[in-house]
Amino acid sequence: MPRRGAFGRRLLVVLFLGGLVASVLPWWRDTPTGSLTGATAMTTAAGQITGLVAGYLLLVQVLMMSRLPVLERWAGGERIARWHRDVAATLLVAVLAHVALILVGYAGLEGRSPFGQAGVMLREYQDMVSAFVAAGLLVLVGLVSVRAVRRVLPYELWHAIHLAAYAVLLLGYAHQFSNGSQLFRPGPVRTGWIALYVLVVAAWLWGRVVVPLWFNLRHRLRVSDVVVEGPDVVSLYLTGERLDRLDLLGGQFFRWRFLTRGCWWQSHPFSVSAAANDRWLRLTVKVVGRHTQDLRNLDPGVRVWAIGPSGTCTAAHRTRERALLIAAGSGITPLRAMLEELPPGAALIYRARTPADVLLQEELDWLSRNRGLRVWYVFGSRDDPGPRQVTTPDGLRQLVPDVARRDVYLCGPPGLVEQYRQVLRQAGVRRRQIHLATFAL
Amino acid sequence: MRRAFFAITGLAAGTTALVVLKAAPGTGHLDQAVPIAAPSAADEPAPTTSPEATPSKARSPKPTRSATGASRSGAGAASKSPAAARSGAADPQPTSTILGPVVTNEFGDVQVRINLVGDRIVNAAALRLPRRTAQSDQRSDQVDSRYSGTVGMVVERQSADLDTVSGATATSDAYRRSLQAAIDQAR
Ligand SMILES: Cc1cc2nc3c(=O)[nH]c(=O)nc-3n(C[C@H](O)[C@H](O)[C@H](O)COP(=O)(O)OP(=O)(O)OC[C@H]3O[C@@H](n4cnc5c(N)ncnc54)[C@H](O)[C@@H]3O)c2cc1C
Repeated sequence: MPRRGAFGRRLLVVLFLGGLVASVLPWWRDTPTGSLTGATAMTTAAGQITGLVAGYLLLVQVLMMSRLPVLERWAGGERIARWHRDVAATLLVAVLAHVALILVGYAGLEGRSPFGQAGVMLREYQDMVSAFVAAGLLVLVGLVSVRAVRRVLPYELWHAIHLAAYAVLLLGYAHQFSNGSQLFRPGPVRTGWIALYVLVVAAWLWGRVVVPLWFNLRHRLRVSDVVVEGPDVVSLYLTGERLDRLDLLGGQFFRWRFLTRGCWWQSHPFSVSAAANDRWLRLTVKVVGRHTQDLRNLDPGVRVWAIGPSGTCTAAHRTRERALLIAAGSGITPLRAMLEELPPGAALIYRARTPADVLLQEELDWLSRNRGLRVWYVFGSRDDPGPRQVTTPDGLRQLVPDVARRDVYLCGPPGLVEQYRQVLRQAGVRRRQIHLATFAL
Repeated sequence: MRRAFFAITGLAAGTTALVVLKAAPGTGHLDQAVPIAAPSAADEPAPTTSPEATPSKARSPKPTRSATGASRSGAGAASKSPAAARSGAADPQPTSTILGPVVTNEFGDVQVRINLVGDRIVNAAALRLPRRTAQSDQRSDQVDSRYSGTVGMVVERQSADLDTVSGATATSDAYRRSLQAAIDQAR
């Protein structure tokens, strides 16, 4: 299997930084050195810079949500989600700074109070009402995404509010060109900025409409079987056409839409839980809420709409010959799918509350007999002695003495994954040897 | 989250650094407030004499909005252009170019140049207009396109008695003052 390295990811980072520089460059060129004298001019200039940065970051945010295959392939869905969150915080700060600095700066130029200036801009400047609305929406989207707030909101409500980000893109568009000092004049800068918008929208349509249409018309997935794996766990078997042509790696996930009453309007990510084969796909789902509850009762024959595959937690992304996999709870599903693609000699630490919670045990046993997989089951909650011991660097080294020379794949609840990441770093595992899948986007 | 923290710090530091770099007293001091040159006249105008009309001066340090419209005109002092730059002797009528004074208001500087053939104004151009923000730039464009040029309102009316461009009262006003001073000088 060809390796997929970090090259694409680094290229994306370089492109991103290049774009950032390019977006501030027009300001740099238009502003002669020494021309910023006095607090007012400086404030206005800072407002322009933060405005350009914010405009750029907003486009990057939308691009990252475009599901563009090249992004999914080079960076992976989970990493993109992390980037998206980090950029979001920066974008929010940039927008707030832009609004505040421009208001204060213009107020200084025109001899008003900043609030008076806000009134004047709303009344007299072109496109500023929609721009202010856009800023307000962005703040709202930011607020509901603060972790503490997001946790108490139902996912669907959070998601619906989050869609307002597209309105931000729309409403914030015009004011850049009617009032932006670098953009209102026709010329290459303005044209380039518009081209960026066109590109991002095109990428979005490509990743969200064209590619999924192509994929789903080609493979025509349907539910063929729902198998109970345990008290709260079911496996869904899907069949379709041309599954041998699926470009799928073990450990990757799709975003699934089950086209049946009550389910079709929601799209949920689930990993594929068995190695790719030309007859079926399998997902293994733990019931945690409304949607997963509904999946339990799916009828065979239901059509499925999928977007993917996505994710870089795969055997192709490894940097070493041997691997250690650490799974907690239903986190076993993507790791199970990649086991056959790893070279022999892999080790698996599987944490579960009780022996009854272990999923796919027969398959794991089979793999340990036939492919030299070593498996440790660790039972109990995180404060019991067993789990405590395997979350220390020494405890890990006792089980897997060469842990520092392995790739480590982590999959489980975000808190646990983060805890393990730190322990692994202490045990001497390099950052690029650690592969995360958190089940949270 | 740690990365986000760095990114935000980077944004603040980067913005500050850019602003500070551009604020450093440096060389590229001139030319910035005069983006439009309106080179309609074939002969270049007489040397402008106002020495204080450099852009660094253009910033009004404390923009006040006094009732008078706050126009501190550089008046006569700025306008002692050695009136006429004559073109070829073939021209039967004397041609002259006159610079109006720099009139400063709270948005920036306005300076008007007119070309005359005999007593008749044949062209008007704004050498300076407020361009500090996109909004004032737009207003300046409106004023310029209404007043200036060989077929603008100045040439049409042959006087500084011009209609105010709505939404750009201050700039219209400053334009008229500079123009009036130039006309006074010509006659
Ligand atoms: C990359 C990835 C792979 C996953 N693979 C598996 C898997 O193989 N097996 C498995 O059992 N679970 C998997 N999950 C988790 C699964 O997506 C959620 O448990 C499921 O969406 C919960 O939906 P619900 O309505 O039943 O529960 P809810 O009670 O509505 O939600 C529980 C939590 O799940 C998350 N969630 C809910 N809806 C969505 C959504 N539409 N998109 C993203 N996250 C959502 C939210 O964090 C929420 O707090 C995976 C998640 C991710 C991100």
